[in-house]
Amino acid sequence: MTATENPVGPAPDTGTDAAATGESVTVMGDLRSHLLKSKAGIAGIIICFLFALVAIIGPWLPFIKDPAQQSLPDKLTPPVGWGGTWSHPLGTDQLGRDILARLIDGARISLLVSLVAVIIAAILGTALGLIAGYIGGKIDTLIISAADVQMAFPGVLAGLILVAAFGPSVWLVIIVIAISSWMVFTRVGRGLVFTLKTSLYVEASELAGASSRRIMWRHLLPNLVSSLITLSVLELAAAILSESAFAFLGFGVQPPRSSWGLMIQQGRNYITDGWWIVTFAGMAIAIVVLGVNLLSLWLQSFNDVAEREQIILERPGG
Amino acid sequence: MLRWLARRIIAAALVVFVVTSLVFVVTHIFTDPATVSLPLEATEEHRANRRAVLGLDRPLSVQYWDFVSGLVVGDLGESFWQSQPASKLVFERLPATLKLVGGAIAVTVLLAAPMGMLAAWWERRFADHAVLGFSMVSISAPPFWIGYLLIIVFAVQLGWVPTFGSSGFVSLILPSFAIGLASAGRLAQMTRRGIVEELRKPYAVTALSRGFSRSYTIVHHTFRNVASGFVTMTGWELTRMFTGYTVVIEVVFAWPGVGRLAIHAIENRDLILVQAAVVVLATLVVVTNLLVDIARRLIDPRVELA
Repeated sequence: MTATENPVGPAPDTGTDAAATGESVTVMGDLRSHLLKSKAGIAGIIICFLFALVAIIGPWLPFIKDPAQQSLPDKLTPPVGWGGTWSHPLGTDQLGRDILARLIDGARISLLVSLVAVIIAAILGTALGLIAGYIGGKIDTLIISAADVQMAFPGVLAGLILVAAFGPSVWLVIIVIAISSWMVFTRVGRGLVFTLKTSLYVEASELAGASSRRIMWRHLLPNLVSSLITLSVLELAAAILSESAFAFLGFGVQPPRSSWGLMIQQGRNYITDGWWIVTFAGMAIAIVVLGVNLLSLWLQSFNDVAEREQIILERPGG
Repeated sequence: MLRWLARRIIAAALVVFVVTSLVFVVTHIFTDPATVSLPLEATEEHRANRRAVLGLDRPLSVQYWDFVSGLVVGDLGESFWQSQPASKLVFERLPATLKLVGGAIAVTVLLAAPMGMLAAWWERRFADHAVLGFSMVSISAPPFWIGYLLIIVFAVQLGWVPTFGSSGFVSLILPSFAIGLASAGRLAQMTRRGIVEELRKPYAVTALSRGFSRSYTIVHHTFRNVASGFVTMTGWELTRMFTGYTVVIEVVFAWPGVGRLAIHAIENRDLILVQAAVVVLATLVVVTNLLVDIARRLIDPRVELA
């Protein structure tokens, strides 16, 4: 965005294509110019850090109850402020289990699954993008056609067919999220390689006789890292939402293990006399995704690739 | 235009072909409908019998030919959970899904266009920040959770609308909002950004300096130039809806659509029916993309399309 203070004042580069002036072409780029950058970034970092911390040290936190411990006399106790007591600050579920403890326990699965999926997608997608962009030719055509087909076959559909074929499992959810995200990295990586390929230092190392592998690994990849990390954070937000949806449908982790999506699935029959189960589990998802989105905005303000963002927007099956 | 259209249609058909072939690979090579339909403890003999009954003991090439030629005439196999043609079951449910997606896209457009214009009108003022806040929250919250919150507030507490099912127009409101809010959030920001950018261009500055009000200029001049992007984005949101959270929202609201049918088919180990639902939804995505490209070209012939 051009940061002119006068909203109707003519920008110096009027009439030029947004991409050509290095402006971003998206929702995200726009959100960024609005938020006070650092505030959003700090809020995002704090939220992500807190959730990660809780996910890691959850079971050793003081005053936290056993998430699996049932107590039928205490079932559907409301949270503090709605008639509950501090022994169950966020109330209990239909089996008398402590909601807060289950949220902390569920954070592990929800966040770990999304994180692993995005890491797999990033590694696979980047490798294919590097190869497609640098080698070019038929390999490029093949890889980019595969990416186009993947765009037309969104994750939820892949999830339906794979769960129907192999039954639900956590690994299946990881794979489904990874295969619905790799092509984003491939397209961005490929686009960046196209522009880097003609730079002097790449030509110099080609002339010096460096192998393709060495050029891709030592010269091109390091230049992609910052963009790809930013992209990974954005994909992580989508992955957490996907994971929660799959868990809600019962495709992923099975009881007695817990995840946020599964808590909503189990709490949905009690929305009349236990609204807090669904409400707090969903709130956990929404807050962590908001944190990741804020972090992503902030990262994008450091490196900004218009083309990449356009690709994100064009993804189907969010 | 015609040549472009022909090329575009062939490309779309190719994508459908590849996607359906991939589905066949999963459902017939990695596993098969007979194995899926039987419990894990079934003996090999049981499985062989079931395979013979379903014609799965024939060579894969024959089965594949059957599958592809069936697709062309709209035969998607026989559901053994319902003992009916799978295509009949899916197409019976399709109108409900289309109705839901239609409602959601209406919510999206009716919220996004005015919000985007308001935000651009009061750029960097309160309304702008409020729209931004709405966008951030709506894209971060899981749609099925929004669905339950809407049910808790409007159906359970206030009793204004039925909790679930699809009885008439009223029951369409909550699920449409549950799906459409996130899309509206994304689209509102895109609209706002487009208008703000257009307002800095010479033609808009001229209009403003000749004394047209900011609102008049936005509605009559700049929004028209953003329209092409708006349609494209709406199209993308449409494809997202067909395959994304619509499935989940159908489960939340017990909406009798294709997505919920697929989930029930999974619960009943009916691989053929799941396959049929997935093939139909994937085709819808490709067709929607095609229509969006055509609409874009009609709105703005300058748009260069590969």
